[in-house]
Amino acid sequence: MTALTATAGLAPQELSAAVPRPGEEAQRPRVASDPGPTIRPTRLPAGAPIQATTTEELTLVEAAHLLRSRDVSAEEVVQAYLDRIERWDSDYRAFNTVLADEAIGAARARDAAGSEPQAPLGGLPLAIKDNFYTAGVPTTANSHLFRDFVPAFDATAWARLRGAGAILLGKTQMGPLATTAATTPDGERTTNNAWSPFDEDVSPGGSSSGTATAVAARLASSGTGTQTGGSITNPSNAQGLTGIKPTMGRVSLQGILPLTYTRDHVGPLARDARDAALMLQVMAGPDRADPRSLGLPSVPDYVAAVEPHGASDLRWPTRIGVWPGYLDEPTAPAEREREEDEGDVTAAAAERARRLFERRAAEVEARRSMLRAFEGLGAELVEIDEPEHWSDLTAWSFNNVRLPERSEIFLEHLREDVRGFGVSLSPWINGLLLPAAEYVRGQRAKLVLLRTILDDVFSRCDVVVQTQPFPFDIVGLPLIAFPIGFETGTTAGPRPMGGLLGGMPYAEDRLLSLAAAYQRATDWHRQRPADPDAFERPTSRARRGRIDVLDVMELTE
Amino acid sequence: MPRSEQDARELTDEELDVYILARLEMIGVDLSVLPEDDEDAPADRRRILRSARQFLRSTPAAIAGFEFDAAGPPPAMYPAEQFAWNRE
Repeated sequence: MTALTATAGLAPQELSAAVPRPGEEAQRPRVASDPGPTIRPTRLPAGAPIQATTTEELTLVEAAHLLRSRDVSAEEVVQAYLDRIERWDSDYRAFNTVLADEAIGAARARDAAGSEPQAPLGGLPLAIKDNFYTAGVPTTANSHLFRDFVPAFDATAWARLRGAGAILLGKTQMGPLATTAATTPDGERTTNNAWSPFDEDVSPGGSSSGTATAVAARLASSGTGTQTGGSITNPSNAQGLTGIKPTMGRVSLQGILPLTYTRDHVGPLARDARDAALMLQVMAGPDRADPRSLGLPSVPDYVAAVEPHGASDLRWPTRIGVWPGYLDEPTAPAEREREEDEGDVTAAAAERARRLFERRAAEVEARRSMLRAFEGLGAELVEIDEPEHWSDLTAWSFNNVRLPERSEIFLEHLREDVRGFGVSLSPWINGLLLPAAEYVRGQRAKLVLLRTILDDVFSRCDVVVQTQPFPFDIVGLPLIAFPIGFETGTTAGPRPMGGLLGGMPYAEDRLLSLAAAYQRATDWHRQRPADPDAFERPTSRARRGRIDVLDVMELTE
Repeated sequence: MPRSEQDARELTDEELDVYILARLEMIGVDLSVLPEDDEDAPADRRRILRSARQFLRSTPAAIAGFEFDAAGPPPAMYPAEQFAWNRE
């Protein structure tokens, strides 16, 4: 067979779907990753108070500030997080690998370096999702397929964070191959929501839930995630964090174990918008090793975007689009039972319905308060009508167009032994069954969907509220998640509620600036969960819950 | 973009299973290594085939039934990037 080679006029690029085949080691990419631009160190605005009372409470930017002024050492910061990991991670189960000795060693080296470092993340420990290649450190994606995989190079996004001075604290639990909330390869739930560490009914969010729990529980100052269908924004909302899923191409996917070609995104999960901006600033930008990151608008100054600007609370005049039904009150369970004439309802089902109703009612009130806050900041609220054919274009079937991509990427593994996929197998099999004509039609519909969003939504507003990552994930548009309140009165303790805003292509700066303005006016982002000892600890841990292979197809990832 | 109202005949479980297994065999993917029916296993043939039948009964027909206007667009793998690459 004749080998195909790149010809003159074709860039020697390779798509970043570098999945090591069964029994093979990952090859270094033919094109080296770009190191990324030099980012200046972030400084807090003059006079800005530092809110934290303990080292582990510091935000990323606060810790960077104190590290540069030598008010705290990198070793103190790293040790504070390692102490909490040792004490609490058996309850949270946020990490699958902790690099204690390596992290302390790196921190001491940084402290010994002497002169004020210019690296914006110098000495700051991060939690990295376990689908990021980390040179010399196992990268398993919580899958049987990569149980023994140790990459020889760093993912570009992590290489840039490391180049900016960050220290790898550990790799975080995740859904196997980024498909579910964090579980073992066979589906046993691992990671708990930091706000309800002993209640498995409280979801920690999507597949980046290990990172979310680590950051929320103060086991790390910030971390990374990936999103194909909500896996940055869902866990951020579930755990009171600020997470941004940038536009497709804004952050290189080189060295990320892929789930799809067209919908994987890399982004930060952070304590607030300022930290998210700093993380994204470091990770973003073109990378010759990932052609999807090339030829795009230049990367704006996210760090500047989150700071106050002149007399106005908002950096840019902003119209916020609000969908029909966004503030609709939920239907009370009793009413719904009568309407549906369901007859006998079990006590457990009635209790679930009551909890869901109370959750939805609290969410609507939080959304209302969020919109009032944005109005108070000077934003204009604009009602958006549902575009023509919207329900067709956003139907679940079109979300399934993503599935053949994962099947193709992992075809050798599927042919080798399907058992390697554990509990995640069904979407990989189903992806093999979507005919090519329907796959192409789905790709055509994506352009119609983007045009519809641009022409019918963003012609009337600058950002739009969302209730779920779908359909912005499909067309690669940016989303930001941030905390907007708490549901109280639950037996398991307060549960964070989150807002979600979607933006125009490459408008991450506007999304970050809005979240930052909201956070200057509110303090939801400063709330932290109590330590596990404040909760009623189960006397005996029953077998941990499992997800079922049939449920995996219902998930958005 | 009218949607076609024409529904295909609903295929039986047996017909779909033949289609699924033939398609998988064609490309060398073997489900026989899975247990036939074992709720304690992370995956078994019964649940995988059930999921596949549900998928085939819903997704392909819904996508095939979506009709574009006369000037329908070309496929776009990366629509947000296409927007950035093509804008003035």
